[in-house]
Amino acid sequence: MHRFYGHGIPGVDPKLLTGKLIVIEGADGSGRSTQISRLTTWLEAAGYPTVRVGLRQSALVSPELEKARQGNILSPRTMCLFYATDFADQLEKAIIPALKAGFVVLADRYIYTLIARELVRGLEEEWLENIFGIAIVPDAVFYLDVPPEELLQRTLAKYTALDYWESGMDLGLSRDIYTSFLKYQALMRKAFQRLQKKYGFIMIDGTLSIPKISQELKKRISQLLLKPPLPMAH
Amino acid sequence: MKTIAEMGLPGRLIAVEGLDGSGKSTQIYLLRRWLEEKSLKVYFTEWNSSELVKSATSRGKKLHLLTPTTFCLIHATDFADRYERHLLPLLKAGYIVLCDRYIFTAFARDVARGCNLEWVRQIYSFAGLPDITFFFKTDLETALSRILDARPQIKYYEAGMDLGISPDPIESFRYFQGRILKAYEEMAQEFKFEIMDASLPAHVQQTKIRRIVANRIKLQKFRSTGPRPIFTQTTPQLKWQAPIETHQVE
Repeated sequence: MHRFYGHGIPGVDPKLLTGKLIVIEGADGSGRSTQISRLTTWLEAAGYPTVRVGLRQSALVSPELEKARQGNILSPRTMCLFYATDFADQLEKAIIPALKAGFVVLADRYIYTLIARELVRGLEEEWLENIFGIAIVPDAVFYLDVPPEELLQRTLAKYTALDYWESGMDLGLSRDIYTSFLKYQALMRKAFQRLQKKYGFIMIDGTLSIPKISQELKKRISQLLLKPPLPMAH
Repeated sequence: MKTIAEMGLPGRLIAVEGLDGSGKSTQIYLLRRWLEEKSLKVYFTEWNSSELVKSATSRGKKLHLLTPTTFCLIHATDFADRYERHLLPLLKAGYIVLCDRYIFTAFARDVARGCNLEWVRQIYSFAGLPDITFFFKTDLETALSRILDARPQIKYYEAGMDLGISPDPIESFRYFQGRILKAYEEMAQEFKFEIMDASLPAHVQQTKIRRIVANRIKLQKFRSTGPRPIFTQTTPQLKWQAPIETHQVE
């Protein structure tokens, strides 16, 4: 049975959300999208209606959010609230309706990325937890753990350049984007390790081969889907 | 939460709050003119006016995309942007900052929409409290008729149409504004609102406001010695709209 982390969304009864919410977390280049695509194919083949959601996809604020990213003009707190708005829109317009309809929802990142990013930027944990208390507690969260050096190699191989935000250039860790990327990703990894303890993520070694990771995810998700429903309260 | 003075900042923050149609914008305009004529360092800001965020809010309102939760968060985003970019630096630089609506607007509206009170308050917990908050108290009927007389259309969210209280915009508006008024009244003591009787003539209210401001804030300390800031170089104009007859929902 589902519940919210905190105050939740007014008017939504989480007990009515009969679907499954599965979150894949990890840095860019950790293999999230590849794994989600494979899982979608697998779940649909097995007859489970599946929907994929992600960050920065809301109809409400994604154009302005993109603009803010390009212009680098908003403070961390403002940016965080903007992302929270985007997340809330996705939650209410995509995640909750799909869960209500009994879908398997595969979330390509969730509140943990948003919390980790802002913890690294110095915002208060308590403040962040209050805001993201609107979120539904997922049925499972998988974190694809990849060391920063490996992420750097993968990112350069794919894009031949490093992204300003994924390198944490706004933090002033180094004027050199290469060094900044390594430092920033190490900080993010540490933040995730801390959140892992709190939220109970399942850590997956993201340096394993694609089929191996896929197999591991499928094994765990099978257990989750076959689990008998919890007895209803009298 | 602390006031700007308690935070040890040299600036001072004055906010006006109340229902639309309570006359608060007129009063803060007159206060602003008075302070500017004294050559004090003054900055004026309105609710929901951060350039970047506003375009998202406008689209959300126009297309009815906002829920109570996203309505709250997008306004908090707008506020955070203005607070961190303008208000806080100006308060550190010793300005008198005048706010037409402040965090209490969010507290009242979002709670009237059904958001959790503690959730909303903690979102805004990074903000300093005003040194003076004027609350313009009207009875509901007076405020309603003033708004209804001034506008051809009542806006969807202003009427709380998103809550599905009533399909009739005027009835919904009446009910929703009533809840906001109640939420304001419940905050008045906790946040030490200076309660203004909005039914008094404008100049009588303004005299009282100026007296309170002069008593509570050492105005001579805010005298501008440098160049006048750009945003006060043009004389502001009071917004006024002639009454219109019919009403439709937008």
